[in-house]
Amino acid sequence: MSMQTLTSLSASPPAQSKRNRFRLATGSWALPAVLFLVAFLIVPLVANAFRSVTLGEAALNPWAYYEKLLLDSYYSGIFFTTFKVSLVTTLCTLVLGYPVAYFMVRYAGRWNALILFCMIAPLLTSIIMRTFGWRVLLARRGLINVWATDLGIISRPLDILNDPLVVYIGLVHVMAPFMVLSITAVLQGVDVRLEESARVLGANRWRTFRHITLPLSLDGIATGCMLVFVITNGSFLTMLLLGGGKVQTLSLLIYQQFNLTQDVGFAAAMGNVLLISAMVCVALQTRFVRRRGVKA
Amino acid sequence: MTASHVNPPRRRRRPDYLAWGLGIWVVAFMTFLLFPIAAVVVVSFSSATYIAFPMPGLSLRWYARIFEYRPFIDSLIVSLQIAIGSAALGILFGVPAALWVARSKTSAAALIGNLLLAPISVPAIVLGFSLLYLLSAIGVGISFAALLISHTVVAIPYISRTVLAVYRALPPDFEEAASVLGATRWQTLYHTTLPLVRPGIFAGSLFAVLISLDNLPLSFFFGTAQSNTLPVVMLSYMQSQFDPSIAAISTVQMLIAVTALLVLNATYGIDRLTAA
Repeated sequence: MSMQTLTSLSASPPAQSKRNRFRLATGSWALPAVLFLVAFLIVPLVANAFRSVTLGEAALNPWAYYEKLLLDSYYSGIFFTTFKVSLVTTLCTLVLGYPVAYFMVRYAGRWNALILFCMIAPLLTSIIMRTFGWRVLLARRGLINVWATDLGIISRPLDILNDPLVVYIGLVHVMAPFMVLSITAVLQGVDVRLEESARVLGANRWRTFRHITLPLSLDGIATGCMLVFVITNGSFLTMLLLGGGKVQTLSLLIYQQFNLTQDVGFAAAMGNVLLISAMVCVALQTRFVRRRGVKA
Repeated sequence: MTASHVNPPRRRRRPDYLAWGLGIWVVAFMTFLLFPIAAVVVVSFSSATYIAFPMPGLSLRWYARIFEYRPFIDSLIVSLQIAIGSAALGILFGVPAALWVARSKTSAAALIGNLLLAPISVPAIVLGFSLLYLLSAIGVGISFAALLISHTVVAIPYISRTVLAVYRALPPDFEEAASVLGATRWQTLYHTTLPLVRPGIFAGSLFAVLISLDNLPLSFFFGTAQSNTLPVVMLSYMQSQFDPSIAAISTVQMLIAVTALLVLNATYGIDRLTAA
């Protein structure tokens, strides 16, 4: 830790920046990337926003699709379900993942590499595989039902697979590693001596955690939460394959609109809403983390 | 005198309940993470034509089925081509830009830095949907090229991010020394800078490849009968039948990724991957 502080201090002393230092790259080196991203990221997204206020029903009233999304009770329900699902998933991964991150940084020692490998291994499998895994476990003749009946816990197999709860289980399963890895990255930089000082000065474990560890790891929590929230907002596979399609969210609706009804304007409007909510999350996160960075 | 006699053994005897509690929590968490994946691997060796427990017997017939059902192998090859191709293009676009952004203090560089990272925060389904109309308008339509372009957009931020982090942590001294000693700009780049940022390029490319292999929301807009990626083929197969061949192809895909990670761990170290 102290080594890290030393190197980060010596890397950017203010005296050096005054000298005109050698720079390898010039601005033109960024040109290909900028042109590519403007052409294939900015232009299509702007065109999409434009379509959402001009096509179909929006030809007469530009805000027609947005009004439909917010005022029509069916669609506003989907709108709120989307945010509810993302919020619940984010909170669950945080509560489940924080202790794991804390253990990895403070206690794991030589086990850390093994835990890290187990954390990264699921990221190497496709989301289809992980979702399929829950179907294998929870199907009517799946492993859980068979074990539970054998042990006499239930008298006949339950229809767990089509319960909306499974969507949350599936999402938490996919997102949890992102949360843990975001928190460990920040916790690693928290000096253990600060916690020890608090303990020596008479704080119990809970107070030490509340007043030292938790505030110092807020950056990791913020990064993890925004990451999980944004990715969950944009995913539809888990909702499509688990829970019997009972959990309807915006991304799933875009997928269905595209496949079935081909209502381009409406899909564009929904995409735009997802995009704006993602941008708001990122802006919040950058602002939040930067402000804390200044304080620390 | 007595106190110093009593104290040390008492402290030694008290077990750390918190560490044990957290340890049990971690084991439970790992079980939750790995159990569904292990279940898929087990089911892939089933001899039954449906998925049910207890399994009637073991066989490799579902691995044979991967080779019989052409779309699986064809799309796996397309997926690998797209993943590696988009990572290579991502390096070509992302690395030079990141090298400039990391050292420049102008506001233009800050803005371009944000642009390089922006595709990460755009939901893939929105990007795919929007790109589809643009690419159709300029005649690329749905094709291998469309898949490659869309996956490159997503590869750029992952590669730029790790290169930015690695290059920012490097003092400019090495490059300065090279230039003082008479190296040209290209010689400095090739012999000094690139070797120094190589871990960043490698780690970023690995992220990009892994994200690309699993990027269904982006791929499903651009697949054609000739070029579809594996997740798209798996999804459509799954929607019509529920047999263990999906488990077998998933297991193969996982083995490819795990091998890549182990190779990377042996050459660069797994810890450096997560540091950025």
